[in-house]
Amino acid sequence: MLGIVLDLVIIASLIALAIQVVSGASLFRGIIHFIVMGLTLALAWARLGAPDLAMAEAAIGAGVTGALMMVAYRRLVEITPDHNPSRTGSRSRLALPIAVGAGGLVGLLGLGATLSDPEPGLAGLAVLEALQDEALGNPITGVLLLYRGLDTLLEIAVLLTAFLAAVAVTRREDLDYSITTRDPHTPLVGALLAIIVPLTVLVSVHLLKAGSHDPGGAFQAGAVLAACGVLLVLTSRVSASSQSRPLIGLGIVAGLISFSLIGLAAMLRGEPPMALPGMWAVYFIETAMMLSIALTLVLLFAGTESLRRNQHG
Amino acid sequence: MTASEGLALLLLLAGSGFYFAGTVGLLRFPDAFCRLHALTKADNLGLCLICAGLAVLSADWRIASVLFLIWLLGLLAATVSAHLIARQARQAGADNIDPPEAS
Repeated sequence: MLGIVLDLVIIASLIALAIQVVSGASLFRGIIHFIVMGLTLALAWARLGAPDLAMAEAAIGAGVTGALMMVAYRRLVEITPDHNPSRTGSRSRLALPIAVGAGGLVGLLGLGATLSDPEPGLAGLAVLEALQDEALGNPITGVLLLYRGLDTLLEIAVLLTAFLAAVAVTRREDLDYSITTRDPHTPLVGALLAIIVPLTVLVSVHLLKAGSHDPGGAFQAGAVLAACGVLLVLTSRVSASSQSRPLIGLGIVAGLISFSLIGLAAMLRGEPPMALPGMWAVYFIETAMMLSIALTLVLLFAGTESLRRNQHG
Repeated sequence: MTASEGLALLLLLAGSGFYFAGTVGLLRFPDAFCRLHALTKADNLGLCLICAGLAVLSADWRIASVLFLIWLLGLLAATVSAHLIARQARQAGADNIDPPEAS
């Protein structure tokens, strides 16, 4: 009873927040509502018993994407100070039909799902049974790497494409250091970094390792590591640089390259493509993907293709 | 309801009350410093009470110590971010801390 009330509250707030995101009076409010919606969505995933998705949604959907949107808003305000970022344009006439259509579609799908026979999906059962033999205790990681390898590979490729597109459209003169705090060398910030940075590295490595048998994995670990990088950019410990560095370039493509090479190497052995040779490959690919995801997200936040370390006294 | 469940419920309710008070303060207080004042103090105590309630409910030392760690991290993050916002507000003049369109 209490559970249903909680679910209904979550559903109602999700719908209300979604309306606020797209119809808010200003861009800034839209961003804030988007972050809150991401956190509420994470709650919904947790209620559905999907902690992996809840963590990914909270870390990437609300956290890192929220930070990206905030920095984009900040740059928009800095670059065009006289442009009023609040939305004054009238709503498109298509908005209402599209909203009603989308809502109807979702409702219809949900109705179909609840009315149909609750017969367990045979593919899902077969996969779970097959995964019993693997060393991976977490079925999510197992499906992502062993059965949906191509999907996961393409997700990494999409992230790389987004990064390349962002680098291509960023004007160099817009990249000032305005996103850092005004005085990043107050003692409290140093103390915070001294505690938080080692802790985030520890947590992300734990998430990566836990991903093989508990909730966790490369995407969640990468998002935590990216949060650490965002913190370092904000406190100007590292900052944007236009000088390209081979190590950073290698880090960006590490996930894609190691996953594709190991996946293609399976064909040489006469196995189907993307068949992984063992647990070492799983850990290797997950680690490379974590580094690539984290580095790409931080670079997207900083808005450049490279970073440099700042010396400070 | 056992005694420990009752205690947990009491702690959780008290924690929610502090969160509610802090949020009301954030929305209603006039300037950045008052808002930070409401937010940091009330929310830190609220988090503490909710963590304590959950720890009592779990009746597990391992979970309780993790919750304690979460509270410490929350304190750390809230302290430093409130400090930075307050510094910024002091330098900019407290009126400019709000984004221009937020009323």
